[in-house]
Amino acid sequence: MHAPLKPALSSKVYDVGDFSAAQEFFHANGWTDGLPVVPPTETAVQACLDWALMPGDQLIGIEPVRAQPITAEKLAVNAVMAGCLPMHFPVVATAWSAMLQDEFLLHGTTSSTGGCAVLVILNGPIRREIGADGTFNALANSDRATACIGRAIRLALINLMDVRPGGIDRTTLGHPGKYSYCIAEDEEDTSWQPLAQMRGIPQHTSAVTVMAAMAPRQIMNEWTTDPREILETFAAEMRANQRHYSIYGGNYAIVIPKQLREHIQNAGWTKRDIAEFIFERARIKRAEWGDVGKGAVVRDRGESVYTALDSPDALLVVAAGGPAGGFGAIIPPWMGHKTRAVTAAIGACVDCEPPK
Amino acid sequence: MIRVLDPTNEMKAAGIAAAARPASLAGKTVGFISNGKEGTKAYFAHVERLLRSELGVREVVWRTKSNYSAPADRHIVDEISRWHAVVTGVGD
Repeated sequence: MHAPLKPALSSKVYDVGDFSAAQEFFHANGWTDGLPVVPPTETAVQACLDWALMPGDQLIGIEPVRAQPITAEKLAVNAVMAGCLPMHFPVVATAWSAMLQDEFLLHGTTSSTGGCAVLVILNGPIRREIGADGTFNALANSDRATACIGRAIRLALINLMDVRPGGIDRTTLGHPGKYSYCIAEDEEDTSWQPLAQMRGIPQHTSAVTVMAAMAPRQIMNEWTTDPREILETFAAEMRANQRHYSIYGGNYAIVIPKQLREHIQNAGWTKRDIAEFIFERARIKRAEWGDVGKGAVVRDRGESVYTALDSPDALLVVAAGGPAGGFGAIIPPWMGHKTRAVTAAIGACVDCEPPK
Repeated sequence: MIRVLDPTNEMKAAGIAAAARPASLAGKTVGFISNGKEGTKAYFAHVERLLRSELGVREVVWRTKSNYSAPADRHIVDEISRWHAVVTGVGD
């Protein structure tokens, strides 16, 4: 008698009649985001695990507040449902290991009325391997890989953490990024250091950065080549967010497409230069709340200055977007520094410290 | 026929038993753990009035979390054992 080569997957199984019956079964159980899902068969789920060299019972992490264990098998089930190919799965698993770090505050960010989404930013060689594209339509339906990876993050939140609207998810409005919110940096078409390297990941190492993020706010300035003037528009949008949404500082991302990026690069500015400029310019006085209908909470602190960033390091500068158009975007944090962006290497052990 | 896998978390976290419910709140101490949001002030003030006037609660202790989206701070949790009941989990 031979022992099985692999332990069987441990998930409960259900037999459904056909593809359509599978859809109705999953929707009826509240296991979807409202869109059709790929039926998660054992073969498809096992293929994801095999690609990532993970046994099904590998613990990706434990959610710190509700102590929910997250295993590779369950993430793979949700990744298959989202349309992921096996080669996408290591990104999903690494993103989740990052989301489970204390500083990300997963429970707070996913249950809050504030309604943010998990923004996933890809860096390194894996982008090219899986076809993640950081050019045209970078913040939307740019390619299969980022669409499916972003969706897998949400489906796993729904099914593994009960983050359903009206359940754990108490969001008032939300935004479309809650379906899928994943972008790849356009590393090939910039002289700037990739985001992951700016955040301590070695060169040529694939990595994922997760951020609890509100919807992108698009800016336009195609009437100057001066980096200060271009970045002033980004800073003004951050100040607007401080006035209209939350005054508190945290991780902001800014996405700079090629047209504006080239002006800034040609002037010799690095990402660090950008971050230092934005740090100085993106700040408001509390009294400005009085201009936008929030005078009741200015109180006696009108002269207090609030910076959008705690420090220049809090700015995530991402080179991405189509080749033409004087556009850019700022992506605000869910709520100040209550959550922190987390970067993790994919399939590599940086400093050989296992995740907590 | 398609055989599909369950996508939900079947490894539920170990739960904890709820404390015994007091038969009466008369003469008891009740703690409020506020998430610190603006709307909680009037709400808890009203609940305190009701607890004192209608249920005879002797003392009401107010505590506020330092982060409204995170669990209560350790020093607040440590105080709970000194109260007979606690009110928390309110929304905005």
